[in-house]
Amino acid sequence: MNARAPRSNNAVIQSLAQIGACGLFLLTLLAAIPRSFRYLRETIRQLWFVGAMSLTIIMVCGLFVGMVLMLQLYHVLSIFGGTSASGMVVALSVYRELGPVVTALLFAGRAGTAITAEIGLMRATDQISAMEMMAVDPIAYVATPRFLAGLIAMPLLCCVFCAMAIFGGHLVGVTWLGIDNGTFWANMTAVVDVRTDIINGVLLKSLAFGAVVSLIAVFQGFTTPPTSEGVAYATTRTVVASSIAILALDFVLTAFLM
Amino acid sequence: MTDPVDAAPDDSTLVRIRGLTTVLGGKTIFDALDMDIARGKVTSIMGPSGTGKTTLLKHITGQMRADAGSILVDGRNVAGLSREQLYKLREGIGYLFQNSALLTDFDVFENVAFPLRQHTKLPEVLMRNLVLMKLQAVGLRGAARLMPNELSGGMMRRVALARAIVFDPKLILYDEPFVGLDPVALNQVLKLILTLNQTLGITSVVVSHELAAVQRIADRVMLLSNGKVVAQGDPKSIADDGSPWTRQFFGGEADGPIPFSYPAGDYATELGFAGATK
Repeated sequence: MNARAPRSNNAVIQSLAQIGACGLFLLTLLAAIPRSFRYLRETIRQLWFVGAMSLTIIMVCGLFVGMVLMLQLYHVLSIFGGTSASGMVVALSVYRELGPVVTALLFAGRAGTAITAEIGLMRATDQISAMEMMAVDPIAYVATPRFLAGLIAMPLLCCVFCAMAIFGGHLVGVTWLGIDNGTFWANMTAVVDVRTDIINGVLLKSLAFGAVVSLIAVFQGFTTPPTSEGVAYATTRTVVASSIAILALDFVLTAFLM
Repeated sequence: MTDPVDAAPDDSTLVRIRGLTTVLGGKTIFDALDMDIARGKVTSIMGPSGTGKTTLLKHITGQMRADAGSILVDGRNVAGLSREQLYKLREGIGYLFQNSALLTDFDVFENVAFPLRQHTKLPEVLMRNLVLMKLQAVGLRGAARLMPNELSGGMMRRVALARAIVFDPKLILYDEPFVGLDPVALNQVLKLILTLNQTLGITSVVVSHELAAVQRIADRVMLLSNGKVVAQGDPKSIADDGSPWTRQFFGGEADGPIPFSYPAGDYATELGFAGATK
């Protein structure tokens, strides 16, 4: 279960080795999925923790992103007299990019770090060894439920984020700046396409980001040296690596899904 | 020495170790170690810090693999077991961790119930009674709903003990069970180990370096140093069997065969006086 990357002085080789070890760890995780069905309760508990407990931050941030986006767009579009299109542009940018990306970044900061720190501390206090000694597979009991929880929670959180962003845009655009309510919705429904925007944009992207963030978080927790310093570094690495992975993957996915 | 025929256990031996060799980070921890742990007895493994006492326990439970040699637990070679078989074996082994290793997410009751919940489908009422019986045995039935961070070190150790015995194992491995306990808690833990051994016949392996405590419970003491068993015998007489190892260890003398310094290169060379090396 120790998928630690081999040591090297070369930073490039070190990073590549980390990615390789992470890939191997993913295979271990996936192989443990059938065994982790026994721990459904644990998966639901984790889902509650990474999903339901992240709702507040996701909702508040979604609301403000939608509000500020509408504000900016209204001012730019008013130059061309196109303010009636602002609702549509808010919807498209939220569904295609901002929703999945910002949700994933928030998710990495809120849930990813917590997962890494928790697993790291469980190792530092011998809880993982204790599970092995009680004949409970820590990959199936600790790692896979957290991974699956992240995978399930991300698309749901992303939907909530998008809904709140549209609501925020409506709040600023219609209630405050005076765009016609009917125009706002009609333009949006005319342009937003279920397949390209909702399924490919919201659901597929957030599913991929959820997998990447939870994989990185669990991997860092399981491979960090079980010391206070090691846990601190691992938590930082989870945020850094997740952020880079999210943004890079976003570009690749967009290029393929467009 | 590692011949499987030679290593076939008789009924009186629960754990049979032959030719165990382990090298960790270039340092030889075990050097062709041979050891027999008698069934139904309390065996104490003593030795200076860093001699690999905990590592030995990890070998017995299959958490670590040795470089050479064999370990037979109840006639089965630990190194040759698949993961499922290893987990099956571990269900029959209780392990008391040095730092108790309670699961911090769960309260005392759920910690003790954890192995039962994972491996059995007992009705909730039966499970509750079983857990409460084990907690009563360690005197902590009243603390069932406390969280691990609300317990003292001695209480945590007793909860961990209740968890280790919840499956009625045939072997319990105690890793430094006396460290950091006040005299009262120490006596309670001693009494528990003795009771478990005498009433349930559980084979016990106690890793410790506190002779006074060990003398009160152990049937047999093995002194480990430099990767080998350097002395073994009955706890009352082992301290004066005349070997330099036991004289130094039990007498607590600073000089003797037990090395004080961690293995290192030549001192003068490391300080830069290259010419000084002869």
